[in-house]
Amino acid sequence: MPNSEYMIRSSPHFKDKDSVPKIMYTVIIALLPAVFTSVYYFRLKAVVLYFACLVACLATEAIFLWVRKKPFQSLWDGSAAITALLLAMTLPPDLSLDLAVIGSVVAIAIGKQVFGGLGYNIFNPALVGRAFIQTAFPVAMTTWIPPVTLHVDTATFATPLGNLKFQDAVVQGTLAPLKDLLLGNTGGCLGETSAVALFIGALILLTKKTINWRIPVGIILALSVFTGLFWLVNPNKFATPVFHILAGGLLIGAFFMATDMVTSPITPRGTWIYALGIGLMVGLIRLFGGFAEGVMYSILFMNTIVPLLNRSFRPRILGERRKPQ
Amino acid sequence: MTTKTIRAEYLKGLWDENPVLRQLLGLCPTLAVTGTVITGLAMGLATTFVLILSSLVVSSIKKLIPAQVRIATYIVVIASFVTIADQFLKAFFYPISEALGPYVPLIVVNCIILGRQEAFSSRNSIGRSLIDALGMSTGFLLALLVLSSIREILGAGTFLGYQVMGPWFKPWIIMILPAGAFITLGILLGIALKIESKTKRS
Amino acid sequence: MSLSSRMILVLTTVGLISGGFLAGVAKLTKERIALNIQAEIEEAIKIVVDDAEVSTVLYEEEDLVIYREMEDDGQLAGYAIQATGVGFQDKITLMFGLDETLTKITGLTIIDQKETPGLGAKITGWDAFLQFWEDRDATGLLILRKPPVRTPSELLATEINSITAATISSRKVLEIVNLSLEKVRGLIAEGKIPSEEHDDH
Repeated sequence: MPNSEYMIRSSPHFKDKDSVPKIMYTVIIALLPAVFTSVYYFRLKAVVLYFACLVACLATEAIFLWVRKKPFQSLWDGSAAITALLLAMTLPPDLSLDLAVIGSVVAIAIGKQVFGGLGYNIFNPALVGRAFIQTAFPVAMTTWIPPVTLHVDTATFATPLGNLKFQDAVVQGTLAPLKDLLLGNTGGCLGETSAVALFIGALILLTKKTINWRIPVGIILALSVFTGLFWLVNPNKFATPVFHILAGGLLIGAFFMATDMVTSPITPRGTWIYALGIGLMVGLIRLFGGFAEGVMYSILFMNTIVPLLNRSFRPRILGERRKPQ
Repeated sequence: MTTKTIRAEYLKGLWDENPVLRQLLGLCPTLAVTGTVITGLAMGLATTFVLILSSLVVSSIKKLIPAQVRIATYIVVIASFVTIADQFLKAFFYPISEALGPYVPLIVVNCIILGRQEAFSSRNSIGRSLIDALGMSTGFLLALLVLSSIREILGAGTFLGYQVMGPWFKPWIIMILPAGAFITLGILLGIALKIESKTKRS
Repeated sequence: MSLSSRMILVLTTVGLISGGFLAGVAKLTKERIALNIQAEIEEAIKIVVDDAEVSTVLYEEEDLVIYREMEDDGQLAGYAIQATGVGFQDKITLMFGLDETLTKITGLTIIDQKETPGLGAKITGWDAFLQFWEDRDATGLLILRKPPVRTPSELLATEINSITAATISSRKVLEIVNLSLEKVRGLIAEGKIPSEEHDDH
């Protein structure tokens, strides 16, 4: 450029103070309360799983960066670490380490890097990894253990949602008490059990505006309305909407997974459809599907239509007519 | 026909024009019956039989067929050989025929076969058509073998039914499900493209 | 020759030749294919009814065939029931045996199924599922035992073990059997089986 007085640059011209690592580390901090509660409830098993997923995810990311000749510093942007944390938090506490490692490798390799790395992936990488091992090792992925704080002496243990679905917990009156669901004193995936810990993390993200508030609100709204209708019609058979919100992976999914910036829509209207769709599908799967829990498949399914939503609900250009002739 | 062209005619089916990995033809059986090596092998051999005989017949009667009814004629020829293959498997390899289910009759609509008649046998000599059909079916068979080996070893820990993985191995059930077929094929296609772009550049 | 008559001629000739070929092939293979299907059913009967040598079809309708099984010396060995019903993925065809008095299930085997490999397909496994079908009570409704137990002795005679992570497939098999047993009981009540009057033939 021959010493021009003007700087010529393509858009964007406004830049936010936020950077990828800054956003990512905010999310990691927001995840920490739930991480700590899971370590409290599941002790060494939790620590080992987190460690295995972190090492496997970072190693896979590093190998791909090396093969694809990309700058190594993006290894430390926090995105692979978030994938590792989220994956570990959605695993059964008693899962053997080799399965966790397979899940981590798939999450980074097939979930993220084959599409071109951060920003190009269609699906939430952690959920891709989880879906893979869920389908590959269905028995191991649905074998649960009670938290050490419960002092029960059984080898296996049902999750609150599993109880609801397969043991008719509402009819039997054995539904997990809401207090346990709030604190996390129950069976389930590592990081999903404690609603309070997840709410604390969500507050951090919402006040920092790291996540789009419409997504969790839409998901929770749709699920509450859907399960609420059935509960009103027959409270002796169906669980309350509050139970459905607090049990299982709904909160971690709504606050930390569906809100992934890369795989969620960019326009408000698209976002509403995306979020309501997830909530509705979770309700459908939990009430009528073959699985006890449906958060993972709902988010992955709605991920697939995000490009379509982005294209259909493009904001109008200033002055553009509502209906072009 | 010189030896060199025979070689080239045969070899193109193995890699440069591999029906599965390069032309992306015949993907339905490729995905559906590669859960075990034995079914993949049986499908590959049945397709080989149909492709070679159809190519022979089509190339020998090509001058007699009016252009307007050529596709109909090819289909009748192909369907006859497919029915023969299907009956043969049912009579002599009943368990395999059961495992392949509707996919043997569906060879009729395998694009590789009709595609080779339309693109090759209908305009080349009997000898060349035979070499082409041999090359294409070998390419198809090899692709199915690779795919089904990966899927059976990872998905069941066995190869042709024999245990090859130690007791420590936990079978990846997803690999024998449709999802495993898509993932494996996707990875294979990616690798094939990568190799292709490397060799083209050098 | 005009083009259209050439087209007709070529297609007819090709059609006739291939038709002739196929007729020949069908003639060669027909018997073997029928034998294969027959052998599959006979093998299944042998698994579920001990000492079954001679089968007679007692009753037949869509999705339900009842065979009476005789031993070599002409003594009644039991009954075999072949039933088809909807599974988790596709139809399941199975065969189960009943004792001479039609009150006890002597065994069960799966003839055809397309359940999920590695999961629902465990219904074909002896250790996981089939061993739990011996000596079940056939006079009432059978119930699925959840969560599954390890050995048959832990089950009541009216209980069937479920399969971990494949509850639906095991329940589907149970539903097929319950439905067929109900039909069998109906047929007994109507006097259609066992049809004693034909015994001396």
